[in-house]
Amino acid sequence: METTLKQSWRDNAYRALGISPEDAKLSKTYLLVSFTTLLIGGLLGLLQGLNRAGLLELPTWLNYYQVLTAHGILLILVFTSFFTIGYFYAVHSHTLGGLLPKVRKLAWIGFNLKIVGLVLAVIPILMNEASVMFTFYPPLAAHPVFYFGLVFFVIGIWMCAFGSFIQVANWRKENKGQHVPILSYFATGVFVLLFFSSIFVAIEVFMIIPWALGWVETINVMLARTLFWAFGHTLVNIWYLSAVSAWYVVVPKVIGGRRFSDTLTRVVIILLVVLNIPGGFHHQIIDPGIHESVKFLHVFMSLAIGFPSLMTAYAMFAVFEKTARKKGGRGIFRWFSKLPWGDVRFLAPMVAMIAFIPGGAGGIAQSTNQLNQVAHNTLWVVGHFHLTLGTSVALTFFGISYWLVPYLSKRVLTPAINKLGIYQTIFWSAGMVFMAGAMHWVGLLGSPRRTSYTTYFDNATALSWDPYLMFLAVGGTLLTIGILIQVYAVIHLMFFAPKGETEFPIADVEDIATPTPYWTERWGMIIVIMLLVIGMGYVIPVVDMIINAPPGSPPFRPW
Amino acid sequence: MNQFIYGLILFIVLALPPVSNLLESIMIVHMHMQMPLLVVAGFFMGHYFQLRFPEFFQRWNENGIPGILLFTIIMIYWMIPRTMDEALTMQSVQLFKFISLPFFAGVPLRDSWPKLSLRGKNILITGFTLMFIGMGLLYVLSPEQLCNNYLLVEQITLGWGFITMAICMVIYLAYKTFINEADYE
Repeated sequence: METTLKQSWRDNAYRALGISPEDAKLSKTYLLVSFTTLLIGGLLGLLQGLNRAGLLELPTWLNYYQVLTAHGILLILVFTSFFTIGYFYAVHSHTLGGLLPKVRKLAWIGFNLKIVGLVLAVIPILMNEASVMFTFYPPLAAHPVFYFGLVFFVIGIWMCAFGSFIQVANWRKENKGQHVPILSYFATGVFVLLFFSSIFVAIEVFMIIPWALGWVETINVMLARTLFWAFGHTLVNIWYLSAVSAWYVVVPKVIGGRRFSDTLTRVVIILLVVLNIPGGFHHQIIDPGIHESVKFLHVFMSLAIGFPSLMTAYAMFAVFEKTARKKGGRGIFRWFSKLPWGDVRFLAPMVAMIAFIPGGAGGIAQSTNQLNQVAHNTLWVVGHFHLTLGTSVALTFFGISYWLVPYLSKRVLTPAINKLGIYQTIFWSAGMVFMAGAMHWVGLLGSPRRTSYTTYFDNATALSWDPYLMFLAVGGTLLTIGILIQVYAVIHLMFFAPKGETEFPIADVEDIATPTPYWTERWGMIIVIMLLVIGMGYVIPVVDMIINAPPGSPPFRPW
Repeated sequence: MNQFIYGLILFIVLALPPVSNLLESIMIVHMHMQMPLLVVAGFFMGHYFQLRFPEFFQRWNENGIPGILLFTIIMIYWMIPRTMDEALTMQSVQLFKFISLPFFAGVPLRDSWPKLSLRGKNILITGFTLMFIGMGLLYVLSPEQLCNNYLLVEQITLGWGFITMAICMVIYLAYKTFINEADYE
C-alpha cells in the first residue's frame, strides 16, 4: 500500500528535489554504456543480416561467427545488464531516498569490473580467438582471456546486487513494518535472480578455465551446458522482469490510470523468482543424456513460468480498459482509441506488450517436446528471442529511456523528440515484423541458425529460403535505422534537450485496494523456497550427468 | 472444510495406482516428493479433525510436543532405506505408508506447529537438518546398494537431495539467527 505509506522526510526531500547529481551520474553512465553497446551491437547485427541474405560477403578478418559472438555478447549481456542496473539504481535513488554512499561506491566498483571484463572478453573476439557465440559452452573453446573477462563481468554484477540488497535492507530498517516501494521490490527480485543464477555460470566458467588453459584434458559438456542454461534462461527472465516493472508501475501512470493490484504484482514477482531457474532445461529439450521423464518434468516447470505472464497480461489490459473507460471509452474495442498512442512513453511499451503475445505463445510452443524437435536449431529460435528480447524487452527499455534519461539529466522530453520516438517505435516494429517474422517462417522450413550464408551447393531447399532471408535483411536494415534514431534520442535527452524537471512516473494503487499481506516482504523465506525448487529441478539430472558422465570432450576450435 | 477437501483430493490422487507407480519409480521422487505430499495432504485434512475433535487434541496434544514427537518418529521411520523397499514389495507396508504419513505425521504436524514456541520450531528444524546431513552422507557414501528396488545411482541422487535440503535449512536457520526481524518489521 504505497499510497498509505508514511514516508520519511528524507524520501520526501528526494522526491521533491529530484535525483542527486552523484546518483544521476551513476545511472547516466550505465545508460550511456548500454546505448553505446546497442549501437555497436546493432550495427554488427546488420552485417549478419546482410550476410545471411547473401548480400554481403564479410572479409576474412571479420568473419560471420566473430560478428555473431560480438553481437550476442554486446546486446544480450552488456546492453541489457547495464540498462537494468542503471534503471534500478535510479529507482532505488528515487523511491528509497537516495543511494547510500557505500552503495554508490559498490555500483561504481561493479561498473569498473564489468568494463574490465567487457574489454577482456572483446579483445579475443576481435582477434578471432573466441568465436564461441554468446552461449560459449563447450566443446567450443575460446582463448582463456575471454573467460577471465566473463569472471570480471560476473563479479561486477554481484557488486551491484549486493549494493541493491544493502540499500533495500537499510530502507527497511528505517521504515519498519512498511512495504518496500513496488519498483524497488522489482529491483530486489531482479538482483536476487541475477545473483543466484550467475552462481551457476560462475561454476561453469571455473570448470572451463582450467580446460581452456590446457590444465585438464576434457570437460563434461552436458554439465557445462546445463549450468549455462540455469543462468541463460534466468537472464532472459531478468530482462523480462525489468520490463514488466515498467508495465505494471510506469505505464498506468503515463496513461493517467492506477496500478492493478499491489498484491498481484508482488505475487507475480515472487512466482517469477521462485520458478525461474530450473526452467533452463527447456533450452536442452533435444540434448541427449537427459532422461525423458526429467524433460517432461521440466516442461511442466517451463509452463509454470507462463502462468505469472498470463496474470500480467490480464492485469495490464484490465488497467488499460478501466482507464480508457474513465476517459469516456466505449464499445468492446473502441475504448482503445482513448489510450495515448501519441506518447512514446506509452506507445513503445504497449507495442512491446503486444509483441509478447506471439512471443510468449512461441515460447510455449518451443517448450513442447515434439514442436521443439522441429524448431530447435533453426532460425525460428532466433526469431523467437528477437521477438521477446529484441522487441518486448528492448522496446520497453526504449520507452523507459524517454522519461528516465531526462529525469536523470534534469531535462525535458520535447514534442520533437517524442515524435522521433514514435517514428523509432514504428521503424522498430516494422523491422521486427519483417525480420523476426521471416526468421520464424524460414526456421520452420528448416533454415539453420548460427550459420553464415550458404546455398549448400545450390541445393533446391536451401535456395527456397532465399526470399525469406531477403525479408530478414530488409527487417535488419529498418532496425538499424531504429537504433540510430534511438541512440540519437538518448544522447539528445542526456546532453542537449532543454533544461527542466521530468517526473519519475509511478502509478498509485486504487483507493479501494486491499492491503498487501506482509509475508510478501520476507525475502529470506522466498529465497529458501527458490533454492528448494532449484534443488528439485537440478539434483536428479546433475547427479546423473556427473555419476554417469561420458569420458568428456577436449577443446574444439572449428574456426 | 475446503482445506479438508483439497487434502482429500490430493490424498486420493496420490493413491491412484498410475500416480503412485510413477512417483515410486524414481527413488528421490518416492522419498522427497510422494512422502512429503502425503504429509501435506494430512496437514490440510487435519484442520477438519481439529474442528471435529477439539477435546482430543486439547487432551493429548496440549503443548504440541506429543504430536511433534509422533511426526518425527513417523518421518524417521520412512527415511530408513529398508522401509521404502518394504513399501514396494509388501502391500501391508504400502498401506501403512498411506495411513501413517498423512494421519500420523501430517495431522499431528498441523495441530502441533502453532503450539510450539519459536525455540521449539528451530530445535526441530535443526534436528532435521542434522538428520538430513547424516542421511545424505549415508546415501552418497555407501558403496553398497541399500535398497533392492533402486540402483546405486538413484541412491546417490537421493543422498544429494538430502544434502541440498539440509543446505536450504541451514540457510533458513542462519537467516533466523543472524537477521533480527524486529529490525525490519
